[in-house]
Amino acid sequence: MKKIAIAVAVALAAGSAYAQEKTIKIAGFGAKSGVVRSFGVNSEAALIAAADVINKQGGVKLADGSSAKIAVEFYDDRCTAEEGISIIRRIYGTDAVVAVGPTCSNVAEPLFGILQKKVDDKGDSGLQMPVFTDVAIKIGLARISEWAFRNVPNETTMYSSLFYWLKTKYPAVQSVYGGVEEDFAHSRASWYAVMKDRAEANGYKVIGNSKWLVNDTNFSTQVREIKNANADIVAISAHPFTTCGVLKEMQRQGVKPKLLVGLTSSSSLETLQGCAKQAEGIIIPTSFAPVTKEGKAAAETTAKFKGAADLHSMAAWENIFILKQVMESEGISADKSQLQADRRKVRDGLAKLKQTQGLLGVTRRTEDREADKPYLFVQAKGGNWVVLHNPL
Amino acid sequence: MLDFLQTLSDGVLFGAIYALIGIGFTLVFGVMHKINMAYAAASVGGAYAGLLVLKAVAAAPAWMVFFGAFLAGGMLGWLVYVTCFHFIPLSSPLAPLMSTVGMLLLIDEVIVHLTAGMPQSYPAMFDDVMLRFGEFTLRGDLLLVFGISVLAMIGLLALLYRSRLGLATRAVAQQPTAAQLCGIRVTRVNALTFVITGLLGGLAGALIGASVGALSPLLTTPLTVKGLIVTVIGGLGSIPGAIVAGLLVGGFENLFQQFRGVTERDMYVMLLLFAFLVFRPGGLFPAKS
Amino acid sequence: MDFYFGLAQTVGIHTLLGLSAYIVLLTGQVSLAQAAFFAIGAYSAGMLTVLAGWHVVPALGAGSLLGAVTACAVGFPALRVKGLMLVVATLAFGEGVRLFFFNFDYQVAKGGIRVGPLGGEGFRQIRFFPEHGWTTAEVMLFIWVFVIGVMALLWWLDRSRYGAVLRSVGEDEVAAQSVGINLTAVKVSAMTVGGAIAGVGGGLYAHYTTHIEHANFNVLLATFAIAYPIVGGLRTVFGTLTAVIFVQAFLIEGLRFLGDWRNLLFGALIVLAMNLRPHGLFGRHGA
Repeated sequence: MKKIAIAVAVALAAGSAYAQEKTIKIAGFGAKSGVVRSFGVNSEAALIAAADVINKQGGVKLADGSSAKIAVEFYDDRCTAEEGISIIRRIYGTDAVVAVGPTCSNVAEPLFGILQKKVDDKGDSGLQMPVFTDVAIKIGLARISEWAFRNVPNETTMYSSLFYWLKTKYPAVQSVYGGVEEDFAHSRASWYAVMKDRAEANGYKVIGNSKWLVNDTNFSTQVREIKNANADIVAISAHPFTTCGVLKEMQRQGVKPKLLVGLTSSSSLETLQGCAKQAEGIIIPTSFAPVTKEGKAAAETTAKFKGAADLHSMAAWENIFILKQVMESEGISADKSQLQADRRKVRDGLAKLKQTQGLLGVTRRTEDREADKPYLFVQAKGGNWVVLHNPL
Repeated sequence: MLDFLQTLSDGVLFGAIYALIGIGFTLVFGVMHKINMAYAAASVGGAYAGLLVLKAVAAAPAWMVFFGAFLAGGMLGWLVYVTCFHFIPLSSPLAPLMSTVGMLLLIDEVIVHLTAGMPQSYPAMFDDVMLRFGEFTLRGDLLLVFGISVLAMIGLLALLYRSRLGLATRAVAQQPTAAQLCGIRVTRVNALTFVITGLLGGLAGALIGASVGALSPLLTTPLTVKGLIVTVIGGLGSIPGAIVAGLLVGGFENLFQQFRGVTERDMYVMLLLFAFLVFRPGGLFPAKS
Repeated sequence: MDFYFGLAQTVGIHTLLGLSAYIVLLTGQVSLAQAAFFAIGAYSAGMLTVLAGWHVVPALGAGSLLGAVTACAVGFPALRVKGLMLVVATLAFGEGVRLFFFNFDYQVAKGGIRVGPLGGEGFRQIRFFPEHGWTTAEVMLFIWVFVIGVMALLWWLDRSRYGAVLRSVGEDEVAAQSVGINLTAVKVSAMTVGGAIAGVGGGLYAHYTTHIEHANFNVLLATFAIAYPIVGGLRTVFGTLTAVIFVQAFLIEGLRFLGDWRNLLFGALIVLAMNLRPHGLFGRHGA
């Protein structure tokens, strides 16, 4: 009898303690399939790692003074619009308070399109779910909906700064020639709207550009064009596979420009794995390198969860901490019955932010829900990315 | 003029890759009359498996990796045979088609899982060899690929027309029941032929990886589409046709790119295919019926 | 609940895609061009609602009509090729259409911003449904009106002489011809109906994803189009529907809990299904 009484007492105590333990669900989603699989894997690891750190430090403070732990659930959208939309609807049906993702810009665009365009527009039946993007980087997407927020680097600012710095450091260098992946939303926009524009704005002569497609394998014609242009700087706005193909062809044809500039997302392990030798010396602006104490710690913790730290996954890490800050300042309840109110509070909190704390320094938040992140320039040297210049 | 010649020769040389993969396609589709949509995927898969040689033997020479790919291709060829052709009755022609699509997806996914989708640098032979004639250059490694295509063609023609296995393969493809009545073990012949085309496919995959410089899952779809186009243009079942068609498609592709740009290039390749289908449906070397 | 409505929308649209390939498969033609007609329906319906301000219903009608007309034009040269050659020819046509849209720019200024298809960047902001306040459930019902309509039409066709004629051509062309069946009329008409169905499906697709680009209509989608009727079996339209539910609801969404294994199982289960039921889940006609 005594044993039963003790057992019942323990169960009751555990039960009530359990009832007091609230969790805040954050849904992560991204591409864990195909050539972009590493992005999803790293984002997931970063999200879980960041949540783990917060939970170990006591979790998130709720409006009523108690604390709640963060639980992360990650969904694979396979970089397709249909699955992305299906996932966000699924997330909406769970008790997740906010969604972090997606990886692919071609998913972000339609996904933002099904969100409510303007908050409080009763005639708009779009989904009312805050989405805080970590990776999808194509310019100008958060504008699509007032529920969409992004923590991705501003390529215009970064390349402007890079070309300015190159001009001051190498004044003899005058001309730029580009190479563009035409059929991928991000790389295409990054050449025409960003690199070309910013190079010209900083006094470079843009001789022209060569084009190829994302799964092309023969670059002999394009590299011959690059050779004939004989520009001082060759800027390659493409992802690792074709970047490596072009660089290897350049080696074959003996094309050696004075400087090589690459696309932000190619400053990753992929490029080094594909063509470390040929990529030697390529300069890329990035919004993450483990140069600060916080950055190094984040990279180490993420590695424990089997993820690599780069500008994309570290944005996911930052997102969790920003969301903690927002949730605490807006005072959410983590109560299932107040779910939609909590979501609205997160959205409003994100909209109010003027700046956030990033791993490289302070990030400014812009009017159209984008981020102006601190950045630095890295260079491929001896099979590693080393910091070339830190403008901070 | 030089520009035009260089573009043409660059394209034709790159077409050697299409020729090599096209030979396997035309054997499978044309000689065996089997639709194997997984052929390019299995070839690329074999190439990836070849990289395991580098794990076992540090700094192994390129030809060892190619040999590993060659063997792995054969194994994958056999696997595709067993999963898609062995158990499915002949009375349902659509089922093997769909089954090979399933294998294509499966092989692709396995590759993505094991490599996290990242491009893998591939060892090459003669990739730094450039034959120069003044301003005009020819890639040495692609000449090697072309040479191997020709050797493969000679070997396969000898196999098909001078050996018992070749005779049996052709018999089984044309009249399976009659062949069986003659005492030919149909399943064994089919399995063996799939292994042989798989061996060639693995080697093709390795050489493609070497020529491109890196392997990526992105290679599968374009190789499948090009392989099919080359098979049709060359003539179903014609091995010399596949080689000529491969070089032709490579050359035209590069010329279209030169004159109309990269975004319209493939549309013109499709138009080339349609031109053949309309004016010469049997292909360059039509099969004698 | 919204999630299930969304899933039902996806199943509905993919069923239309599958049915467009189904009717063509009945005549023995394996067409990898259905994704192309789907794309034509998507872009045209999208352009009509976004650029010309049409209501979605007539826009879908126009998309369907364009799909049908293109399919009819493709149907004639398709007669000249058989078997693998037809597969390759339709695949090439499909890729050609995709590349056309890759190069297609048609932008118009509306309210200070430029809208319309922009080549490689795609066609964004096709927001007829959310702008007019349609809920997820209403969109789902709208899509299913078309799906049920098409399924009923095909089911009824199957019971009519036309259905028997279609299937006889699929079974044995020579025999069909020898009893006086006009092969050209049968094959081209089937292709045309398939194009019309794909056109409607595409138009709905554009409006429910709100953003389309050329890469959506690739070889993979074309393959899915024929996969549904083949895996489901050609005996009945319910085969295609079941296959779509199997793939979209069970494999893609239902197996999410398996995490990474889901993608591996996808291909493996198709291989298994084809080995266990070579004539499809529902089998073939008369079997």
